[in-house]
This record gives sequence, structure tokens and C-alpha cells, in this order.
Amino acid sequence: MPKGVSIPKAIWIWLGEVVDKIVLWIYAKSFALLIAVFVSLRGRQRMSHNNGVAGEGWLKIVDDPEFPEHPFFEKGRQFPIRIRHASATFLDDAMNCIRSISLKFSHHHWKSPFDIEMNTGAQSLFWNALSFLKFAAMRQEKWGVEYVEYMRRYPDGVSGSEGALRRDPISFHNLHYYSKTPFLYLGTDGIKRYAKYRVMPADDEKETGIGTKFSSFDLPNQRVLPFETRGRNFLKYEYMERVEKLGARYRLQIQLRAASDDDDPEVFNNMVIWDDRIYPWVDLAYFNIEKVLDWKESTMTTFSVNNMPKTLGVLPAKSIYDYNSLNYMRSHSEIARKARWLSYKIYGMVPPIPDNDNRNNAEWGK
Amino acid sequence: MDINSACKECKEKTRISYKYDGRFFKPKLLSINHLQLGNSKLLRNPIVLMIEWLLRQFRHLRNRLQAFGKRLFPRRSKVSCHRADSQLVGSIHFAERDQLDKPIHNLRIEFWGRTWWLQWRLLSAGYTDYDGNFSLPFELRQARNWKVIRTQFEAYQTTHVYFKNDTPTLHFERCYLELIPVSNLTGMRYNLRTINLSLWEYRRDTNVPRTKIVNVTNNAPQYYTQGRLDALYQQIVPLELIKIKHLAQIAYAPETISLQEIQTDYAENLTRCIEKKLPGYTRSDEWFGERIMNGMNRGSFLPDKNEPNIYWVKYFGVCNYEHNNEYALPTTEIKFEIQEHGFPRPLAIHLTGPTNAFHKNPWQKKIVTKSDGEEWMFAKRVARVAGGFSTEVDEHFTGTHLNTEQYAIAAYRNFRQNPLACLLFPHLKEVALINHSADKIIIHGYIPSATALTEKGIHDRTRDILGMQDWKNWEPMKVLCDQHDCARADRLFWEILVEYVEDFFEKNLTNIQLHWREVYHFSKDLVEHAVPVFLSDKDLHKLSPAERKLAEDRFEYYSFQYGFDTTATRAVVNGQLKTVSPITTAIRFEDALLDDIPNIKQACCYAIMMATYMHTWINEHQYDDMGEVLYNCGGLRFGDKERGIMAPESDLGIAPDLTRSTQMLWLTNLLSRTEYGFITKNEEGDVNPVFSKLLLAKREEFEKLGVDVHAIESRTNI
Repeated sequence: MPKGVSIPKAIWIWLGEVVDKIVLWIYAKSFALLIAVFVSLRGRQRMSHNNGVAGEGWLKIVDDPEFPEHPFFEKGRQFPIRIRHASATFLDDAMNCIRSISLKFSHHHWKSPFDIEMNTGAQSLFWNALSFLKFAAMRQEKWGVEYVEYMRRYPDGVSGSEGALRRDPISFHNLHYYSKTPFLYLGTDGIKRYAKYRVMPADDEKETGIGTKFSSFDLPNQRVLPFETRGRNFLKYEYMERVEKLGARYRLQIQLRAASDDDDPEVFNNMVIWDDRIYPWVDLAYFNIEKVLDWKESTMTTFSVNNMPKTLGVLPAKSIYDYNSLNYMRSHSEIARKARWLSYKIYGMVPPIPDNDNRNNAEWGK
Repeated sequence: MDINSACKECKEKTRISYKYDGRFFKPKLLSINHLQLGNSKLLRNPIVLMIEWLLRQFRHLRNRLQAFGKRLFPRRSKVSCHRADSQLVGSIHFAERDQLDKPIHNLRIEFWGRTWWLQWRLLSAGYTDYDGNFSLPFELRQARNWKVIRTQFEAYQTTHVYFKNDTPTLHFERCYLELIPVSNLTGMRYNLRTINLSLWEYRRDTNVPRTKIVNVTNNAPQYYTQGRLDALYQQIVPLELIKIKHLAQIAYAPETISLQEIQTDYAENLTRCIEKKLPGYTRSDEWFGERIMNGMNRGSFLPDKNEPNIYWVKYFGVCNYEHNNEYALPTTEIKFEIQEHGFPRPLAIHLTGPTNAFHKNPWQKKIVTKSDGEEWMFAKRVARVAGGFSTEVDEHFTGTHLNTEQYAIAAYRNFRQNPLACLLFPHLKEVALINHSADKIIIHGYIPSATALTEKGIHDRTRDILGMQDWKNWEPMKVLCDQHDCARADRLFWEILVEYVEDFFEKNLTNIQLHWREVYHFSKDLVEHAVPVFLSDKDLHKLSPAERKLAEDRFEYYSFQYGFDTTATRAVVNGQLKTVSPITTAIRFEDALLDDIPNIKQACCYAIMMATYMHTWINEHQYDDMGEVLYNCGGLRFGDKERGIMAPESDLGIAPDLTRSTQMLWLTNLLSRTEYGFITKNEEGDVNPVFSKLLLAKREEFEKLGVDVHAIESRTNI
């Protein structure tokens, strides 16, 4: 019991913490259930990243690691790898979207010892469970315009959005992707650390599609530009061709910082970028993608933050205000994944995105 | 009877005192909006009075309940925040359509939470910055605590300053409230976007800087204090009843009323009192000179270029302003001789312009001297009327009311954290409100119907006169002789004022410098919204020689009369040479020039001088010099005779008609007898006691000059 705190006060604090955790659990489970029923089961959809392409290859941990030793990330160790690139929210590659890469250290569509999901931009658009739910509730998408009121009210969402959106990238391959939220890193030395991950092209190819001039009021407009000539799937086609002709080689990096008892909660805030002069990015692994999977396999491929070793997993969260509550919610969304697979069994696989002129679309089959 | 003792006795007898009391069934004025030139809306029916009493009791009870509520649910200043992890952000700008991007700086803002049991919790407090932006840090868990039922964001404007033992306290009134759903607070920043406030906006429909007031009782940037309203309501009723009686008689039985009766129904003024004791004295040259020098007119005696001891007092007439054909207003130039001792002696009166309905040449000239017999008496009357009109329109309305209002708007728009708010606000308050009322009653109502100028003419004239009002290097008028009490009193008050302002600056210089940017914005608003210098926007080459000479004469005289420094460096804004000199062009004090502190001191002295002493002088003496219709009035009618306005007082065809007469006396009484808010009385505790003490210390000196220090107003509110 902390010094100076009376017993009743301590009980009151403890009760408060319990209530916070219960509330967080309720939020996470309720949200997962809603997504499972209304999005996954009925719509046969993921929550957001439906428009994607998967590939397979091999990953190798670097031979001369500059990071603390960890049994999972043994130097030189190789893993089969499956990745999936996606454009968030919309079924049209030519829209101004956040792009993603998800990694799975496995060739299975589900089972894996290590999964990680990343998006473009070093900052996210939300920072805890509460703000994520507000983000979800305020989507109000219409004709390729979304989050209008959210952008008006949450300037940090705006800055995250400006950093994350990619319009007209040349390829999925040359984008930089970040995990944003920190994870646990408990190495062989037993020292507790926090880790963030990022993926970039292995050959330092320049990133494309980054916005520079942002309108103060038109950021929610993610629509295809007028007179766009490329089709709805151009980015996926480019990736397929790239993998077939050139291959796609990436590097996976890690950023670590030591944990302390008096850590400022902002350490876990995915809107706060760790200073890379103090916490530098170091190479963790390189991986090559040798073949692109078909639409069905790509759609089936699923990732989960629960697919991680305990020493590399999700950090505990205490409440819906806790910055770690984002990963908490992710880890409690299994039901949504299972509901989606069930929906495929009942209703069949979703059709590929057609190369038609129905632009600015977020609906399957149209 | 001895002239001096007769005058002294009459001055004492007719001195206005201010008593505020009222019996229950006495008719009441419900609101200042109900004051009219015709019949103001009075409550007279006993049943209505009963209902009004009940309404007042209800309001009283409601106010007490609200006060009780405030005691029961106090707003404490302690901020509930252990660790600020979130912020309310946004910006506050003006709401005028061409100023939507102009920020409101240093506005006090607060973020409150209210609990289920109605207790208040202050979650955060702060101020907007100079770009109008704000960032209020707060603790998310405090705002989203289960006890908190709602949260709200509030902005406050500084409305009053009160002094307690020399220490000023700023009083804030809420000017904006926004409820924030608790569910919207999720951590990090929450954006309230740009809030546009209608705060001390400039009117767009006037050619001089004026405050936008939609309704003086419920939609204005500030309101009269209850004390001020009570004084007005209680004093105005007897006057209103007299006027109503006259207007009714004029409408229904005009044969039963005469000018004499109208005059007698109103309180005896100085000239009538003296006439009773010394018949003919108030029409004498000596009285004429004395009143021009020391009366309401407070004449500016321009030295003749060639002759020593010869001076000119000039009252410019209709000039090129829009006017009617019923009233005469020739340009009147009075030649005086002033020796070291004695009052100014009028030698000649030059009249330029039509004096009858038949010959309308605006350049016809007539020179009248004492040797012209009775014409001299007529000319003096014309001069009195021209002087009365010019003093009321030029010096009173423009030189004090409008002049003070432009400083008031700029001050209220910009001074918040700078201590100059404490210096200026007590003296600049309520002027915008009274000017708003004056628009209706006087500018739109009385003057166009009772004088030579139309409403447009008045607007153009006031703009021109305001184009000669500048603080830079302004000084009170010079003392010309040992009878020049007006100038002596001016100088005495100015000395006290300068001492007071110097003392204030000495005590508050650090904070004045710290918040210098407010001074910069004050100066910027003042200059940008000022009218152009008189004649600077006119091409004099396009005028005829006579017009050009008149213009140049006016410029020369006004420069002298208003202490206008023609050599001062003025700003050009949008192609206009602005009248008011810039005080500073430095945003930060570190970049300020050496003159900037003396500039702001002088500007403050000037603004306070106009708002207090200068206004009091004219206002106080109004009834003395314009309380007898045949002696002086707002305008003389041409009449239908060849002699026109050059006629005796017995010719009622040129005097104001009965309606105008009662209206004029009602007005001059209203303006003189309903004053409230005096420096020494300090009824509301909003005048710096240092200022009062300095003034009281010179009480006897003022008394010798015929000035009662207790009657010097602390602001222009009538």
C-alpha cells in the first residue's frame, strides 16, 4: 500500500481499477461482437482492410543483430512468411487511402508464431480504445468522403491522417509501414523493453504517394481524382507483376526502449513518435516475397496480435483511456475473424474487386 | 443689484443637484428604449404600476434565487487536474464578416464540469493567445468522471473594473457558452474549431467609428448599470410629464398654450434667473462675451493675424452640408477684443450665408457692429444660436461623445490583461450606449426637425469634425485673461489627470510593457477605423475660390479649436490619411520607440479628458445657456419677412415653434439633470480612488473657477 494512503482510500482505488478493467473488457467484447455480427457475418468483410493482395516468401533474421538477444529472433534464423498488403476502407486502389502490410511468420492463412500488422505513417488516427470507438462511430462515409466530423474535432486524428494517407503510390513495395503501438520485448537478458516495428523496402527505394499540401477542410475527401485512368486494382496488379518479374525484398526493423517503473504514459501513446536519435531503428530481418497468392487465399489470410510469443506480445491495458487499450481490443477480436470465416462457409467467398468504372466504392460486388 | 452677486446667486440657485428617489404610484419609465422625442412610454395607470411593481418583485426574487444558487453551488477557482493529458483547442475570432480571421486575444476562457448534484468543477482555465488560439489542458479522467454530468466551455469578456483600496479588480461577464458532450472527450486534443464572437463590433452603416448595438437593453456589448438607469428613470419622469402635457395641448388645444407658458413650466435656468434680477443683463455685450468664453460654448479665441488683443470666435454654418430651407444657420464669426482684465468685448459679428427666406446666396456677407443699433442685438442672438448649434454638434456630440466612443471600442476590443484596462474602462464605459440613444432621439429626431441640417448633413458634419480630433500633442486651451476661468479650469484638470496617469504608469509599467501587444492592437484599431483628416480626401482644386477659402478657414480654425497638430505623422490606411495618430507600431515592447510610452500616456489622458471633464463642462452648462428658448435655441427659422432672422425675440415667427421649444427644453433638462457616475462620488466603486483624491485636493481651486468637482462625471453616459 502506498505510503500516506489510508486503507479505505486504497480499497477505493483498487475498486476503481477493477471497474476500469471491466469497462474495458465490455467495450472490447461488445465492439468485437458488433463487428462480428454486422460486418463479418452479414457483410463477409474485415472491419477495414478488405482490399488487399497476399504473397508468400521467406524471412531471415539478420546475421549481426544490433538488438538485445531474444530466443525468437535468433540471428540467422529463417521463417516462412506470408504478407498481405491492403488499402484501408475502400475497394479502389486509386483512392487516397492508408496502405498496410501485415506479416505472418508462416505459410498458413491463420496459424503462426508471430503476426504483426502495420500501416503507413508513423502515427495513428486514434490513440486509445475510447478514441478508436469514436473514430469508428464518426465514419459516416458517403461517396468516398468519410470522417468529416472526426477531422473537424480531433486535430491529432488529422495529423495522423496526413502522415498516413497515400495517394497514387507507385507500388505497395516502396511504402514504409509502422506498427505504431508498442509491444513487449523481453529478451534473453530478462530486461523488459518496449518495441515498435516497421517495414520498408530493402534497397532504400524512395517512398511514394506521400501528401504534402493538405486542405484544411477537404482531408476527408478520399475520392479518386478526376480523369484518373488507372483502374480499381492497379496497385495489386503492379505488385503481382513486380513479384513475378523482380521479386519484392523488404527489411523489417525494430525500435526498442527500456521499460521503467516511472514511465510516462505517453511512452505508450502511438501518437508520440519515439525519438530515433535516442531509440534508433535497427534491422531485425529481411524477407523476400516470391509469389503472390490468389484472391481466395488472400482473403482467407488473417492476422492476430495473439499470434506472438509471450515475451513479444501485447502490453497490458488498464482502462479504455490507456494507450495500450488499442492492442487490447485487437487481441479480443477473435470472434470477428471466426465470424468472417463462417460467413464464407455459409455465403461463399467474396468476389474479387471488378475492374469496372464504379469508383469511390466501399461495397463488395459493385 | 451688483452684477457679480446676482450672477453668483443665480448660479447657486440654478445649479443642478442629483437626487434619486421615487414614490410608488409615480409614473415610471420602463426602459431607456422607451424614451422618445414625442411621447415617451410612461407607465401611469395604477393597475399597470401595480403589475410593474409585481414584475419588479418577481425579478428581485429571481435575482435573489440566482444569487442563492451561486452561493449554494459556488464556482471555485481550484482546478481539478492532477495530470493534464488532454487539451481543448480552438480559436476565437471576431464575427464581423470582413473580420472573420481577426483573432480576439487574451480572452479569458474556462472549462467547467457540472456534477449530478449540480456542483461545479473547474477543469481548466486560461486565455487565448495573440492569434486567438487557445489550448486548455485538462485531465481526461476528471472530465469523464462518473460524477460529471456535463461539461461546458465558456469565454468571458472584461466588462467592468472595480477598485477596492486602490486595487483594481476586473469583472468578467460570460460572452460565450458551448456544451461539450462528455462522450466527445477521448484524450489528446478536442477541437472546438473557430468560435466567432460578436464583441464590440464596428458598425458598417456609418461613416464614423461606431459600436454595433442591436438593442441597448438586451443585445449590446455592455449595458447600463442599474444605478445609472434608476437615476435616469427617476429624474426623467417629471420632465416627461411636462412635455407630454405640452404636446397634448399643442395637438388638441393650441390656443391654450404659449411659448411663455412652456418656458415657465420647466425649471428656471441661469439666464432667466439673472434676467429677473438684472433685466437686460443677459442680452448685454458683457454677458455675451462672458458666456462665449466661460459658458457652454467654451469659445476658442483665435488670435487675429494682424491686430494684437483681437480674437475671433467662429461658428461655421451649413457650409456644404445637406440642409433644409426652413432654418437659418449662417457662418458666424465674432470679433472680440480681449484685454488682460475683463471679459471679451465683442466688436463685430460677421454673418455669411442667407439670413432670410428670399435671398439664398450662400456667400452673401453681413457685418454688424454695435453702431448698428438693434441689429447688434439681433446679430448677437444669431451668434448665440450658431454657437449653441456648433457647440452641441461639433464640440459636444462629436468632440466628446463620438470621439470617446472610438477610444471605447478600441479599448474594449483590445485591452484585457494590460493594466490600461483598469485605467480606461471606468471612463469609457456606457458612451456607446448613450450614443446609440442619441442617434434615435437627437440625430434622427430633434436636429433634423429643429435646426438647419438634415440627418445626412449632421452625419457628414460630424465626420468632418471628427477628422480634427487627435490625441497627439493635444493641450487645453491657453489662458487669455484673468477672467478666462474655463481655460484655467481645463488646465487644472489636465494637470491632475496627467499626474494621475503618470502615477498609474509608474505603478504598472512592468505589466503594461509585458502586454504591450494589446497596446499595439489598440492603436491599430483606433487608427484603422478613424475617419480621414478633414479635407484630406477632397480635391480642393475642384472647389470654387469661395468654397476653398471656407474650407481652408475651417481647417485653420478647427486646428486651433481642437488642438490638432497638423505636423504630426499620421498613418495612411487604404489611401486615407487617418486622423488619429498611431500610438505605437511595435508589436513587442522590445521594438517600441522611445516615444511610444509617452504616446500611450498622452492618448490615455486625452481619452479620459474628453470622456470626463470636457463632456461635463458642456453638459453641465447646457441648461444655463440653452434653457431659455428666446435667448438661445438649436435653430432660428427664416420666417416669412424680409428681415428674416435679424429680428427681435418678440418675433415668434423665427423662434422655434411650440413643439420644438418644449422638446428642446426637455432635451436640455434630460441631458443636464440625469447625470450619474461622478469621479468623487464614485457611486459604483469603479473610479480609482487616487484620481478622486487628487481631484478633491484641488476642490477649492476649482470652486474659485466656478467648477464643482463633485459634479465632474467619470464617464460620458448622458
